[in-house]
Amino acid sequence: MKSVSLGLVVVLGLACAGLLVRWTDTLRPPSDPNAIDESLYLNGKTARRISLSFNGLAADWYWMRSLQYVGKKILNQPGDVAIDDLSKLNLKLLAPLLDTATTLDPEFLDPYEYAAIVLPAIDVKEAIRITQKGIAANPNAWRLYQHLGYIYWQQGDYQAASEIYGRGAQIPGVPNWMLAMKAKMIADGGSRDTAREIYTRMFEESADEQVKDMARKHVLLLDSLDQRDVLKRVLQSYRDRQGRCPNAWTYLRDVFRSGSIPVDDYGSPVDPAGFPYVLRSGTCEVQLDPKSEVPIK
Amino acid sequence: MKSSSNEVDTTASLTQQTRAESRPSRLWRITAIARNAFREAVRDRVLYNLVLFVLLLTAASIFIGELSGGQERKVIVDLGLSAMLLFGVFIAIFVGVGLVYKEIERRTIYAVFSKPVGRGEFLVGKYLGLCLTLLVNVLVMAVGVSLALVYVSGGWDPLIPTIWPAVLLIYIELMLLTAVALLFSSFSSPALSALLTFMVFIIGHFSADLKGLAASMGSTSARWLFNVLYYLLPNLANYSFITPAAHGRAPAAGFVLASGLYALVYIVVILAAATLVFSRRNFK
Repeated sequence: MKSVSLGLVVVLGLACAGLLVRWTDTLRPPSDPNAIDESLYLNGKTARRISLSFNGLAADWYWMRSLQYVGKKILNQPGDVAIDDLSKLNLKLLAPLLDTATTLDPEFLDPYEYAAIVLPAIDVKEAIRITQKGIAANPNAWRLYQHLGYIYWQQGDYQAASEIYGRGAQIPGVPNWMLAMKAKMIADGGSRDTAREIYTRMFEESADEQVKDMARKHVLLLDSLDQRDVLKRVLQSYRDRQGRCPNAWTYLRDVFRSGSIPVDDYGSPVDPAGFPYVLRSGTCEVQLDPKSEVPIK
Repeated sequence: MKSSSNEVDTTASLTQQTRAESRPSRLWRITAIARNAFREAVRDRVLYNLVLFVLLLTAASIFIGELSGGQERKVIVDLGLSAMLLFGVFIAIFVGVGLVYKEIERRTIYAVFSKPVGRGEFLVGKYLGLCLTLLVNVLVMAVGVSLALVYVSGGWDPLIPTIWPAVLLIYIELMLLTAVALLFSSFSSPALSALLTFMVFIIGHFSADLKGLAASMGSTSARWLFNVLYYLLPNLANYSFITPAAHGRAPAAGFVLASGLYALVYIVVILAAATLVFSRRNFK
């Protein structure tokens, strides 16, 4: 009887404690997601020193913390957020988190890749520094050269990008396109073809699903920009001939029969994601379908 | 009750041997004590930590995938081997410091030493018994980590062969730490022994810093002091191969051999020192 009573006290006590926690949670004022983040108490070197043999595990912890940190901010942000444009999210802790993770485990390549993709929009100097740190610690990891080249290319520094691709191309076993990228950066750094090549390679080589998705969307955007250029030319030609813009795509059905742009069952040209382009009636403006996966810019 | 059963085990097996042979061999006596120390550890539910380990790994295998951004294999190796080291260190320290103390406290040591057992044999036997416990612990955990890798990879994982040399190094480190715990427990209380052993564990991982500190010192005497500490204290950083193992890198055979030899020398030195201290101890 006594043991049953004590058991009941334990069970009921735990239930009460759970309910009280729930109640206090409702009383706590909601935290502002854009409030100033706390600082990291430890820098990478100190963390590595005090982690004893557990530096790998500590690196994993910092890596997961980085992902949770970004994920939480994205969830608090209304609408879609592109992984390579998180500048509005006040991610001031991301660089120190990734830096600590890579100091704890310098061979851990994923945080370098994440830094190269996400950080340029937030702090490009840190993005370059962390990626260069990765190259210094892993001189044979050619993907880090690819990522650093990508950062320089984004900054419009095609000379530096070319040099980095060239250095990466010297690593044994590296894909041939790294050498081709070296030349392409100098000759044609700002073109869509170069951009398409960069994102296609990123999509092919990355193991990170978020990075792959970002690269895929960029390729969709580039393909769509090419298509929209063609459509603009077609519309311009129609206006020159008819003196006005068409009210619907059906007026241009014969033009699209040539197969330069894929069309749907209704004769409307479709974007690379399979959604029909929107033609504003009586104007020559072509827009993306709001439901389309192709990014606006 | 438990202490008397341990006493009966040790004394009974020794009596049995005394009957069988007039002069039981030293190896046999050590083996009997080691076997008893292992049995005692099992009875003390030391291996129950394996249940916690299995739960930890199972949870990690299932949930880490979503949290680690596709790095679950690395996290499982890091987590599994780190837990192996941490649990092993706790066992080595908390069981190791009680090995001798408990026998003195329960006065079972009088029964043991009434038999033809040397104090050195007693210490070495106890040491080997705990090493056997740790071996079972480490082996089961290593199999657990391998199975977790098979689970997350959906079959054979190339990381599996690379974790075993790291497991061997962890075990060697635990053997070394057990010897240190035994040395401290041969002359001080369990609490102090545990504290001192834990400090040796920490300092042992800072040995590279000691060397760096020695190099940066201005005065010659300070440089000497830190250099002496660097060479005298166990260099446990040699046994840290968890992080490279998680990247699929195994240590070179020569490195493992040299680290094993270093540990062997160190263990022999520590056990000799412990025997020296223990031999002078008065139990009256």
